[in-house]
Amino acid sequence: MKKSSSNNKSPRVVLNLKNIVKTYVSGNTSFNALDDVDVQIKEGEFVSITGPSGSGKSTLMHIIGLLDLPTSGQVILEDRDISRLKEHELAQIRNVTLGFVFQQFNLLPKTSALENVLLPLLYSDIDKTLHKQKGIDMLTKVGLLDKLKNTPAQLSGGQQQRVAIARALINNPKIILADEPTGNLDSRSGKEVMKFFHYLHEKEGRTIVLVTHDMELANQAKRKIVIRDGKIYSQ
Amino acid sequence: MKIKPSLSDLLNSSFRSILKNKGRTLLTSLGIIIGVSSVILLTSIGNGLKSYVSDQFETLGANTIFVSPGMIFSEGGRFNQGAEQFLSLSFDKKDISNLSRNFRSDTIIPLSQTSAEVKALNKTLRSISIIGTTDDYGQEGNATPDPKNGRWFSAEESAKGSKVAILGSNVATDLFGNVNPLGRKIIIKGKTLKVIGIANQQGSSFGGQPVDDYIYVPLDIVHSLSGNEDINSIQIKTPSKDEVPQRKLEIEEVLLDRYEKDTFTVFDSSQLLSSINNIISVLTVALTGIAAISLIVGGIGIMNIMLVTVSERTREIGLRKAIGAYPRAILVQFLIEATILSGIGGIIGILLGTLGSLAINNFFPTNVTLQSVILAFGVSAIVGIVFGVAPARKASKLSPIEALRYE
Repeated sequence: MKKSSSNNKSPRVVLNLKNIVKTYVSGNTSFNALDDVDVQIKEGEFVSITGPSGSGKSTLMHIIGLLDLPTSGQVILEDRDISRLKEHELAQIRNVTLGFVFQQFNLLPKTSALENVLLPLLYSDIDKTLHKQKGIDMLTKVGLLDKLKNTPAQLSGGQQQRVAIARALINNPKIILADEPTGNLDSRSGKEVMKFFHYLHEKEGRTIVLVTHDMELANQAKRKIVIRDGKIYSQ
Repeated sequence: MKIKPSLSDLLNSSFRSILKNKGRTLLTSLGIIIGVSSVILLTSIGNGLKSYVSDQFETLGANTIFVSPGMIFSEGGRFNQGAEQFLSLSFDKKDISNLSRNFRSDTIIPLSQTSAEVKALNKTLRSISIIGTTDDYGQEGNATPDPKNGRWFSAEESAKGSKVAILGSNVATDLFGNVNPLGRKIIIKGKTLKVIGIANQQGSSFGGQPVDDYIYVPLDIVHSLSGNEDINSIQIKTPSKDEVPQRKLEIEEVLLDRYEKDTFTVFDSSQLLSSINNIISVLTVALTGIAAISLIVGGIGIMNIMLVTVSERTREIGLRKAIGAYPRAILVQFLIEATILSGIGGIIGILLGTLGSLAINNFFPTNVTLQSVILAFGVSAIVGIVFGVAPARKASKLSPIEALRYE
């Protein structure tokens, strides 16, 4: 596992967004959700993205998450321009590069915690015989070793989000992209989840991008990107 | 291209998502179940009918050659629809003696038929078919009574034209009810005949009146009833079935001396059998085709539910795509689910169809062939794939962003 310590000397740029424009057209009016945005995410960074609703925050998150491509501009992932790749190629890259944590957890219902965690491996090249142990390791890491067989309905919100984090980590991703990860949790579980992100950042040197409208959470990140009206307001 | 996820993973997850909703799975498959079981049932009835018919023809005798007026078969071996126009032709006793002289080792049986009013005790039956023939007809096992039910007429009675009759089992009941008809009198057109036997029950015969409704008498009796010397058809029994093909040609040659070509037909039971099989096949295919329509309706049912499933599982699809499922993986996943649904329907349908045909077998011959099972299962799997394509494509084209936003 390639890990960089938190006090990195020359942190490498993992994801580089250059002159990103995302235009939505409806009828004969067009609207720039992102207007010439430059963002760099460096290895081992803990970055937050905030902005009011309608600011382009979600659009930026989709582009960082490689779920969407810009209308113009370049998306460079580890020195490779991926702005013109096909859907299935992007899917492959998402699988090995990104770990998603959603507000809604998005766990498969009626499916055990372990199987939920293993889901990304289904679409990976990782040797099948290793899958189960990896899943157990990840659930151990988030403190749910005793809940392997539990389905989401049998877990609390905080536990469900920890399963989702284990799922995000299983492919050892370059970037963890968390979209309002505490939005559906009570404050105690929310704090636990944030504590875990800090742990991943500080102890494992993980790169974390936290998208939130909650300034208090955003302030916990080492760097804040604020977006307004499709432009970077501060970073 | 390497398949990710592996087929076994896909099958595993498809099976589980289907089994999570057993009730719906069963209802979804119902159309296919009904379609497949009716296809199995109908083909098994068709097959059963065919083997029943060939069994019947076995008993008729593979060494029997029939001579009939008219051109019974058209060129393709089917029954000729215009045969009636020649039915006015009839043979006579000279033909019988010609054939007897030429083929001494064979048994030549003339058959003559008339229809008349029959009275017995105080009952009267109208339009009963009276068959006039010789003792040989009974000797060959046609309509022969069980010993306890009397006897067939003898060669002597046949030659003299004795006033004796053998009743078909239905006629016997209709005329005499519970009274034992043996030794009693029946009156046909003023002639009094003595009942000497009751033919064994035969069941219905194909292409004609049930033989149980006939009365059998010596040939001369029919001739005196009808007032002519006509012989309507001739049966020739060869010593073994090996002579049949050659003998048919020879018989035709003899008859051509006196009759025009194509005004009569010399045929054997295999020809008759293949013609009837032809008809049964056409019927079976037509009925099965109708049943197959229900398979298509079943397929549409599956498509419907799969479309609903795709909507319901939009978030799941979005998630799978976000974490690395490429469109084709989603497509294959949903195709497999649709195919499993119809496959389950197919298997249940085959079981029900087979059970149904076993039940029917108690009343009517049925025969489930491996072919029809394989065909029905194959068709149901194909229906699943074909009708699964639209929902699966819809799923594979969902954008992960839209899907994850879906509430």
